[in-house]
Amino acid sequence: MRNSLMAAGLAAFLMTNAASAQTLNVATAGDQNMVDYIKDYLGPMFEKSHPGVKVVAVGTGPGDGGSQKIFEKLDAQKKAGANSDFDVVVIHQKAAGTMAQDGLIQKYRDALPTGALVTRDTATNALGTDVTGYVMPMFHSQTAIAYNPDLVKNPPGTYAELRDWAKQNPKQFGYNGIKGGMSGVAFVTGWVSAFGGDAAKLEKGPYDAATKATWDKAMADLKAFNQNVVITPGNAGTLDMLNRGEIAMGPVWVDMFYTWKADGKLPPNMRLKLVSPGMPGQPMYYAIPAKTAQNKLAADFIALATSPDVQAEGIVKRFNWYPGIDAKNLQGKLDQAAWNQLFADIPPDALAANGKPFPIGPYFNDILETYEKKVAN
Amino acid sequence: MAKPSFLGLLLIAPALIMIGALFLYPLGFSLAAAFTEPGGGLSLTHFQKAYELYSTDILFTLFIVVVSTLLTGLFSIVIAGILTLSETPWLIATLRNLYRWPLFIPFIVAAQCMRTFLAKNGLMNNSFVALGLMEPIQTTSFLDWRGIIITFVWKQVPFVTLMLAGAMASIDRATIEAGRNLGASRLRVLVELVLPQVAQTLLVGLVLSFVTMLSVLSVPMMVAGSQPTMLTVDMAFRINSYGDYATANALGVISYFMAGTVAWIYLRHNVKREVQA
Repeated sequence: MRNSLMAAGLAAFLMTNAASAQTLNVATAGDQNMVDYIKDYLGPMFEKSHPGVKVVAVGTGPGDGGSQKIFEKLDAQKKAGANSDFDVVVIHQKAAGTMAQDGLIQKYRDALPTGALVTRDTATNALGTDVTGYVMPMFHSQTAIAYNPDLVKNPPGTYAELRDWAKQNPKQFGYNGIKGGMSGVAFVTGWVSAFGGDAAKLEKGPYDAATKATWDKAMADLKAFNQNVVITPGNAGTLDMLNRGEIAMGPVWVDMFYTWKADGKLPPNMRLKLVSPGMPGQPMYYAIPAKTAQNKLAADFIALATSPDVQAEGIVKRFNWYPGIDAKNLQGKLDQAAWNQLFADIPPDALAANGKPFPIGPYFNDILETYEKKVAN
Repeated sequence: MAKPSFLGLLLIAPALIMIGALFLYPLGFSLAAAFTEPGGGLSLTHFQKAYELYSTDILFTLFIVVVSTLLTGLFSIVIAGILTLSETPWLIATLRNLYRWPLFIPFIVAAQCMRTFLAKNGLMNNSFVALGLMEPIQTTSFLDWRGIIITFVWKQVPFVTLMLAGAMASIDRATIEAGRNLGASRLRVLVELVLPQVAQTLLVGLVLSFVTMLSVLSVPMMVAGSQPTMLTVDMAFRINSYGDYATANALGVISYFMAGTVAWIYLRHNVKREVQA
């Protein structure tokens, strides 16, 4: 009895030891599709090219809250002087800026073979913070208004038209507030950019704490607007309600929309519209914690993830995101049909004109807090 | 009185240390954090912020939990009363077999089920439409405060009923028989004879339910949209999105206050009874 117990203990010890030597822990913020992407697609591919390595994907939750959890863990481990037990982190823009400033992530992009393939300015600027070298965009995503063409013949083209439409069609527009994921947050920041005055200042700065006083009218209008709409439980909640025909319109992430459509969880006739003056989109970033035992493996993993082949097949074709690296590197890797599919409802020129970044960090926080104070409460 | 033995103290030490380290220390820490301003002095700024941002949610939480507790009490009395006083054997057998089921279902699973069951075009409304009881245009979604209350009541009724039915089974049947023999209806026997004898148990069950419902995060998060919502969701949001523990702690203190009030009612009642006995 005793011997078998000891043997079992020894075996367990050996197993954990063997596992920890070759496990790459990838922590990702965002919805379940982010975890699925790493667990079902990228992880197995990396394990195949690196025999003996096991990729473990951990999801930390949707929205900036997910990134905040990664930040807290890295911050605590740094203060304790320990190696972080995440080897690769996938984070939102707001957290990336803070982590780069606090030295929680390392500068690795210049040494990465795919580092030069990135051209968009989001690779160097995360909501007003310089993150050059610290991050590699995994993809870009965009929010837009999804609508059911059976119920909405002429979808509104601007925020102002949308506001009038919601008044004429009470409880037919739904969004998830600001606590249930980023599509609702995007809708709200888009609203403030549209009705709150100086939109360019929100995106570029400089920050002026007095600016939020100028949003009072926009926020009061939003409160009135909320009387006529449905508040849904989460990003997926909006899509669920669209699917069941309970609402006719609502803000969604473009990638989730296409994925749900492909999975048959949304009727195939659903359409998207990117209203002007614009709605925000954002990249997710790959980053490597400042102190990790698996530096080399982590860099290899990100190099694979940002290679043109993976960006074409995984990011664009399977998960319907816009590529993180410059799209011209994907030429020849992707058939025309898949490419057209990505731009079916939102053509590239509309994306360029109405796809906006989120406001810079301090304005972003001000918008959310003013929303809680003036609209939700 | 016996002198406390060293060995006895040693035996309870692990439990005491656990309570101290895992409950009292964090409790004290969050209380202190709620009343401390960034500079270090005592202040109520976090409470002011909590009030500015979440005053509606505080009232909403109180409303949801109070209504749910009252409804839970009502349904539990009805079910336990039927189990004790009914003279229809098949009804008792069916109820007895059915009522405990929700006890074994976690809140989060219940919330997920309700999310598809109570939706505008969900299972419940679709069934009504298919039965011809309703036109599709008349359906409304229950995924708001009503959904939260329905889920809470559905989940807590079995718990309180279990306690209440046990208490009712153990009271002296002679009192019930006497009432019936003197011509009292079963409802009157339940209200005037049985309930007063089990009031203590009912109170315990309801206080525990109140505190449980106050602390559930999954149900308000999944069943209803976020405006208005319960304090647990706001606390999670403050921490997850901003790392703002101070305001979350202030909201936590407000929750302690609500839970403390019912605990106080319960304790006062208990003490009064012990004095009488």
